Amino acid sequence: MTAAPAAPVAPPRARPTTRLVAGLIALGLLLIALTFASVALGARDIGLRDVADAFVHFNSGATDDTVAVQVRVPRTLLGLLVGAALGLSGAILQGLTRNPLADPGIMGINAGATLGVVAAITLLGLSGIGLLIWFGFAGAVVATVLVYAVGSLGRDGATPVKMALAGACVTAGLLAISTGLLLGDIDAINQLRFWQVGSLAGRYAPIVEGIAPFLAVGILGGLLCGRPLNALALGEDAARGLGLSIGKARVGLLAVVAVLCGAACAACGPIVFVGLVVPHVARFICGPDYRWILPYTVVLGPLMLLGSDVLGRLLDGSGELQVGVVLGIIGAPFFILLVRFSKLTEL
Amino acid sequence: MRNRLALVAATSLALALAACSSDVKDGGDDPASGAAAPEGPWSFTDGSGEVVELDDAPTRIIAHSAEAAALMSYGIKPVGIYGDESVATDPNLQGLDLTGIEILGEEWGVIDVKLASTLSPDLIVADWWPAEKAHSGMEEGVKAESKKIADLAPVVGATQGGSILNLAEGYEELARSLGADVENSQGAEDKAAFEKAREEFSEVVEGKDLTALAVSPATDLLYAANPEYAPELLDFEKWGLDVVEPDAPDAGFPYWENLSWENADKYQPDVLLLDSRTFDEALKTAKSQPTWNSIRAAKAGQVVEWPAFWLHTYGHYATALGKLTADLSDLDDTIGD
Repeated sequence: MTAAPAAPVAPPRARPTTRLVAGLIALGLLLIALTFASVALGARDIGLRDVADAFVHFNSGATDDTVAVQVRVPRTLLGLLVGAALGLSGAILQGLTRNPLADPGIMGINAGATLGVVAAITLLGLSGIGLLIWFGFAGAVVATVLVYAVGSLGRDGATPVKMALAGACVTAGLLAISTGLLLGDIDAINQLRFWQVGSLAGRYAPIVEGIAPFLAVGILGGLLCGRPLNALALGEDAARGLGLSIGKARVGLLAVVAVLCGAACAACGPIVFVGLVVPHVARFICGPDYRWILPYTVVLGPLMLLGSDVLGRLLDGSGELQVGVVLGIIGAPFFILLVRFSKLTEL
Repeated sequence: MRNRLALVAATSLALALAACSSDVKDGGDDPASGAAAPEGPWSFTDGSGEVVELDDAPTRIIAHSAEAAALMSYGIKPVGIYGDESVATDPNLQGLDLTGIEILGEEWGVIDVKLASTLSPDLIVADWWPAEKAHSGMEEGVKAESKKIADLAPVVGATQGGSILNLAEGYEELARSLGADVENSQGAEDKAAFEKAREEFSEVVEGKDLTALAVSPATDLLYAANPEYAPELLDFEKWGLDVVEPDAPDAGFPYWENLSWENADKYQPDVLLLDSRTFDEALKTAKSQPTWNSIRAAKAGQVVEWPAFWLHTYGHYATALGKLTADLSDLDDTIGD
């Protein structure tokens, strides 16, 4: 197969820069409001005044203070970072593979993280989320390298089609190994359950402090990917004509994705839909220019993830619904509506 | 001609059947059980209410692990056992002599029925679960193949629910019907020990004003046990311990109320009970939660082992109760609400 024919470049619908900037600022303000809501709202009823007071005069003996500062703040920070990481990495993956369905789920990254966690539980007998996330992270990075290695075999190197196929193969293979390790090991299945459903709950300061640097660096790196992604969107020949080294660009982009998805998936479990839907919403707002799409995903991702998490905390009385469950419930119809009422941009 | 063929077929079939049944007889002459089976017809009322009647008392028994432990305390040794976990870790089977007993399953929902059929069993012994309307090992969700164990022989068992004593008494009665010398057995000694343990338990908890909450801490939620579905908690309640009843159990799975860790302090008992089988692990998970200490009993370290969901015999119950009594005896009863 030769290089994919250059996609017909639609005359870029010019969106006035001022409008895009204004949109970004408006969404940013919305996100700040949501951040406050995420600290103020939860399964436990705490008055706004008491929440504010907890930050001014923290009293470790008062449960309200503990919940606001030690439970909700790390959870909110993680929601912001992971949401941004998932949205951003979804956009990069879709641009890199030129596949509108690309997300961490089909590129072997979640499967790699899962295998890392499963192997740590079953083979090494480890437990405790603070330890397991590092095995998840390592698994995700190894899986990404594997996908790239398999995808770049043969002529033409790592073309989008070969990468997508390699991702699907590696996912299937890794999941088979995970399932094999888990079969019959009820304790391990129970231990994995909290992680596999996708949740922001139960992740406190040590985990957030450990994983945040990776996410922060990944997000900054991801924001710089607009130019190579724009070039790749023109097709390989055009990109080469623009002076882009295709191979280097792919490796660089994939490295960013591995750090972002790997860290996000390790910390919160394989969270669905954010990586898939957010880039499409961003593209719907700003058109095909990745230099705008990427910053929009950084704001839209946390809006979706943290918004769903706050919803899950309020829905279930004195308990709560895991964010993975909420996203599954609202994400699917939302995506269908999006597909139905807006023509998804060709990649 | 056609009739002739039919006759030949029928005869050979009859011969084959006779051969089969004599095989079974051969097996039956060498019962693995130690008790002398009583002569004559045998009947037992299963937990489901169904009366099982046989021409002779069964001698070749396959039992679920806890039920096997109960029978063995009366000297009745099954020919096969299936359990929900490895024989090495199953708390029901610790310290028992399993030589000569075929292990037919070591995982919930998986029974080697083919191997079981070679044992020619004449009775399967397993608890009856009224909520699920099934015997242990044959519930909804097990491998389809496993359920076929019920085709090998009639299934009987005591009924789960209300009290662990239902189970202990049920298997005592079953053992007696199978010819066990109940009065001179380990089971009788265990029963005496249990009665003593129960008295001591009542004495200790009635001398105090303790409230207890059984919980299962997970990373994302704290589960508070509903005693209505935990027979040993109902027993403790009956014998004087004040067990907290969660006011909003999960509608779909009423064994627990799901509490967000933000609401961990919703109930303030004097003592927290944690499943004894996973005690250390659970305590580690709980302690990583900033709000665990918002439960005053947790902060004061008043957390004790809960012998949850597995007890079946007077012996195990006596041991567990003795330990619980000792644990509870030096606790402060003024910590909770």
